[in-house]
Amino acid sequence: VTAVHQFVPALLPRDATGDHTLALRDTLRAVGWESDIYVEAAHDELASEATYFERYPERARLGDILLYQASTASPVADFLATRPETLVLDYHNITPPSFYEEWEEHTSEKVALALSQVAQLAPVATLGIADSTFNASELARMGCPATAVVPILVALDADAAAVDAAELARLQDGHRKGTVLLFVGRLSPNKAQHHLVEALWLYRRWYDPDARLHLVGPAVTASYARAVFALADELGLADAVRHGEHLTEGELAAWYADADVFVCLSDHEGFCIPLLEAMRAAVPIVAFGAGAVPETLGDAGLLLDSKRPGVVAAAIDRVRRDPPLAAQLVAAGRRRLGEFSLSRTRARFVEVLSGLDGGQVRQP
Amino acid sequence: MDAAGRAAYLTEVMADIDAEVRRRRASGDLPAGLERELDELFLEFSPVGLQGRARLRETLALVDGSAYVDVAVPVESQKVVGSYVKRLIRKTMGWYIGFIVHQIVKFAWAVSRMFHVVVDHVEDLEAAVDAQRTPELPPSAVPTGDPGPSWWSSGAVDALRGVSGRVLHADCGGGSLLEALLATGVDAYGVDPSEAAVEAAVERGLDARAESVIDHLEVVADEALAGLVLSGSVQWLHPNQRDRLVAMVGEKLAVDGVVLIHSATPESWAAGSSHLVSDLAPGRPLHADTWSHLLGRLGFGPASVTFGGAGHRLERVDPSNPDASAINGAIDAVNALLLGPGEYLVVAVRER
Repeated sequence: VTAVHQFVPALLPRDATGDHTLALRDTLRAVGWESDIYVEAAHDELASEATYFERYPERARLGDILLYQASTASPVADFLATRPETLVLDYHNITPPSFYEEWEEHTSEKVALALSQVAQLAPVATLGIADSTFNASELARMGCPATAVVPILVALDADAAAVDAAELARLQDGHRKGTVLLFVGRLSPNKAQHHLVEALWLYRRWYDPDARLHLVGPAVTASYARAVFALADELGLADAVRHGEHLTEGELAAWYADADVFVCLSDHEGFCIPLLEAMRAAVPIVAFGAGAVPETLGDAGLLLDSKRPGVVAAAIDRVRRDPPLAAQLVAAGRRRLGEFSLSRTRARFVEVLSGLDGGQVRQP
Repeated sequence: MDAAGRAAYLTEVMADIDAEVRRRRASGDLPAGLERELDELFLEFSPVGLQGRARLRETLALVDGSAYVDVAVPVESQKVVGSYVKRLIRKTMGWYIGFIVHQIVKFAWAVSRMFHVVVDHVEDLEAAVDAQRTPELPPSAVPTGDPGPSWWSSGAVDALRGVSGRVLHADCGGGSLLEALLATGVDAYGVDPSEAAVEAAVERGLDARAESVIDHLEVVADEALAGLVLSGSVQWLHPNQRDRLVAMVGEKLAVDGVVLIHSATPESWAAGSSHLVSDLAPGRPLHADTWSHLLGRLGFGPASVTFGGAGHRLERVDPSNPDASAINGAIDAVNALLLGPGEYLVVAVRER
């Protein structure tokens, strides 16, 4: 292997796929390989880091390995399907369209297209890399001849980002007496934030009438977000559910610092980086075991096999009134975080890619 | 604590949490059906919840709202020159844009009118279908409570003894059979459409849920059940619902899974059930051999059928009656020919 070039639909700052792509590029260059990033679009902040994908043919060299960061629909995928170079898929999971069908048809169509593109590339890729065995099994089902599990490159083993004190004070202003439940992730049907609202309602009724729910993440599925907040309003929780988005690292750290329990009731997660963020922030976790959540969480949280509000409320209460249990979960989280350390993941990426033969040329 | 110790501790914690939820249910803090009501409340705010006519009308309103195209392009600009340029373009292009817009609006209104015609037609069809619909059995007519152990309980327990996996009892009523199954080590749970019946089962510490067997089976994974006991409302399901239930029995039971069907016989149905049920139920009980036939088509082995229950048979006269012999002979003949046994239990095992 002498050159591994990455192709990504969009290179964005403060974005999991964007951070992963840049970290992988630096990793590959550090071992002496050529590595550039080709994109359909790049944010202004990162424009100097990337090249428009259609310019690749004029720079192509024999032996290049092309690695596609598959996360959304893009003409980049169609372009790669026409290339003869050795292809590697780095799959970050695509939410099944069924989750969006009744909410936003255009989103449903977009993810269906993204899945069909991955399905088109999977059989012709030499290797599929996935950040969880859950994602790897999806790739295998799509016909990928070989798969390897390598976690996403995220710098979570470093010290936690400094907490933005002003943001923390704003969050705690006037009502720092109830339990604070936190979930981080875009407001989207597969994340099931409405089940968090239902659990909050019952938790307040049974255990803590001052409890609050903090939801952090962009409201990408607007109709779903509206329904979640309308439900909160109907249940008399309008003042108890707070929403944050477009946060800086320090502000996000403040939301984690303010939280007592991180609760995840998603129906579909391909990896779930916020679980690792909660571990880093020493927030005990209660999570429903769907998708890749059990795999990412390990024993670093209470893993529920039901997300009925009664079960979720009772689990949160147990964590709240059992400090030794909370301490055990936090300690397990620290250990678990070590398994996703950047140095370990970088080495694993290099090991997996070293086994490839860039000299293979396939028929597009 | 090592990894195994930590895992064991977390298992204990989860058992405590389950016990806490059961305690809350038993104390009335978590009425049966509350969790479902919360989900239904959420659906009211979602497009998913807008069903049928309301959804059609809402979509139609969107079409109507989009059918108008504004020809007056905004000319405001933060720059004086920008506003002047925009006005100039609007003025010089006005005749051209107006011509195009006129045709687009004409087309859009034609599409909108077409949708109105389609929606009106769909509503007429719905009304026609509605008029021929077989009504559901009113909830107030559905028998509630638990008849307690009955003649077929021991046979059901014997048939399910030693199965490996979850066993569902529908309709479980107050949970007498569930208790008997749990006592023999069977992992049994129940569903019943009656919330009152489920409340009683939950108070006894049983895992019971307030929903119909069809609604419940829809969300059970294929081949997830080791056993399935069908009783109660299975007797009076609408034929279409019964077809759906039969299909799901084949899907949800694992290979080697056991299905049990308890029902009144058709002969005893009119006399045996409550008048409300027998008059208003959308369906009627099948004969035992019809169930055997349906299950056989799904890949079940030969069914065993046990008859029982008192039914409504004519009682024999006292032997001291001088004509007892002749009268009782006639009664036996009538019982055998016309009234038959009151109930039956069909048991079959899925072979493929």
